[in-house]
Order: sequence, then structure tokens, then C-alpha cells
Amino acid sequence: MGSVRYERSIILPGWGQAGQDALRNARVLVVGAGGLGSTVLMYLAAAGVGTIGIVDGDRVELSNLQRQVLYGTGDVGRSKCVAAACRLADLNPEVRTVEHCTRFSAVNAAGILENYGIAVDCTDNLGTRYDLNEACWRKGIPWIYGAVSEYHGQVSTFIPGRTACFRCLYPVAQEETARHPRGVLNALVGTVGGIQAGEVLKLIIGLGKPLAGRLLVWEALPAAFTSFMLDRDPACPICGT
Amino acid sequence: MRVELRVFASLQKYRPDLAGGEPLDLEVPEGSTVEDVLAGIGVPVSEVKIVMVNGQQATLKWRLRDGDRVGAFPPVAGG
Repeated sequence: MGSVRYERSIILPGWGQAGQDALRNARVLVVGAGGLGSTVLMYLAAAGVGTIGIVDGDRVELSNLQRQVLYGTGDVGRSKCVAAACRLADLNPEVRTVEHCTRFSAVNAAGILENYGIAVDCTDNLGTRYDLNEACWRKGIPWIYGAVSEYHGQVSTFIPGRTACFRCLYPVAQEETARHPRGVLNALVGTVGGIQAGEVLKLIIGLGKPLAGRLLVWEALPAAFTSFMLDRDPACPICGT
Repeated sequence: MRVELRVFASLQKYRPDLAGGEPLDLEVPEGSTVEDVLAGIGVPVSEVKIVMVNGQQATLKWRLRDGDRVGAFPPVAGG
């Protein structure tokens, strides 16, 4: 069925009603409903992705609002998962959300990922990304990596069986060494999250060329995008052969 | 030999002169590794988690050649 809501998408070259139908039938899991998650969730919902899973065990804090634009001041103290679902229902009631109000981990990864076709990484630590990477590789689910720090952002699309995996990029587990939370340019999560959401939509509809096998880096201060090639590590414990 | 070096994200605190995005052109001894070059300009190699040489992933032990372009990243984990 055509819809006025999506007409500016449907008229895009290569999109059409078939693309919109593909979105309606798609199931995407967004892991983390913070800064990146705010951007990704809103664009996926507005685009008409039929089922969106939201994973987050935290509550909204006042210090989140500088960059987590999914939430309002009245949401402080609410479950992020619940507040996000309410906001998305208002943005697009045609979209179904599934709330997973918990922290994503190796223990619950397989169960949460069940029934989703694509995952989006909007987490805030390397450990959870390792868990997401391993679970997605086992299930053959593509996932879109995004990370930010201060004025720097990174994005890549990992496709099991086709590209390097996150463990090839970060072979050795080590978190950022800062003792205090790092600052982040708030608009940076919009830049990186917007690229992630675009990658999801492209993958679902089969548009263009995914950001697969490449790491896209955005440095906001010099206003420079740089792209690097990512090769599979034959010795990788997750995807190596 | 000459190499071109960029450091990204929080590594720029060790070399604020590189935060503008311009690469640092360096004259280094033949046989230098990425690790040697980074240590030589005051970037702690323990904080470097991703190395790129000529646009492709490499390691700290990578032996450089004349004209190589090097990028170094710390862990980037925020979301």
C-alpha cells in the first residue's frame, strides 16, 4: 500500500514501493539507546522499518540529554527502553517496537538476537561489541558498528562470511583508559548514527554498496572523512579460517 | 626515508599540533617500525589499538617503507 508518510522515500531512485514493503517486513535490533541509538532509532522508525528491537537496561539521566535527543526533560528517571518506545510510537505508530530492558551480554545475546535480520551497535564499550560481534557471527546476522569519542567517529558494516569482523579490527580487548567519561560533540552522534541508519536501510532494500570491509572515520575538527580497508585476520578467533 | 603520520581521536592530546588533520612528515631511519615512529614523536604505543598503513590495517610491528602513510587510533568505544 502506498503511503503519504513515506512518499519522499518511495520516489527515490531504486527505492519504490518494493523497497518500502521490504522495510515494513524487516526486523532490526538496536543495541543501546543512548546517543547513537537516539539517532538510529528515530531514522529507522521514521523510515518505516516494521519491527525495531530496543536493548538498554539504563534509565534516562539529565546528563544524557545533551546528545540523546530521543528523550525529553520529562523522561529523566524513566527506563530508556520504555521512553524510547513511547517516542517512536509517537513518531510513527505504524512501527512495532520490542523492548528488551536489559544490558546486552554474552549470556542473553543469542536469545535477544533471535528473529532479527540486522543488528545496529549503539553501545558504549568494547566488551559489549565483542559479545555482539560473536553472537552475530554465529547467527550470520550483519551488524553496523558505530563508535564515538570526543570529536571522532567510526562506522563499518560487518557481514558474516563476507567481511572482516570486529575482532579483526580490535584483536586485543582494552577499553578506553580515561578515568572520567570522555566528552562527545553532541552532533557527532547524529553524524555517525545517521550513517549507521542509512547503512541499515541500504542493506534491507539492497541499495548501493554497503560500508563493508571498510572503516569510515569522521574527524569533526578538521572536517575530514577518511576510509580505510579492513581485511580479515586469518588468525581471528571469530571469523578466521 | 620519509613517512607521513596521522594520529586520531584522543591520541591527539599528545600532539595537539596534529589535531588539525594535517599529517606529520617525518624523516625516520630505514627499517623503522610503526611503533618506533610513534614512540619517537611522544605517542605512548600502549594507547594505540588500531594501525593503518597506506589505508589498510597493519600492526605496531609493521616495518615501514619510504613514502608510507601511517594512521594510529586509540580504542574508540563511546556511543
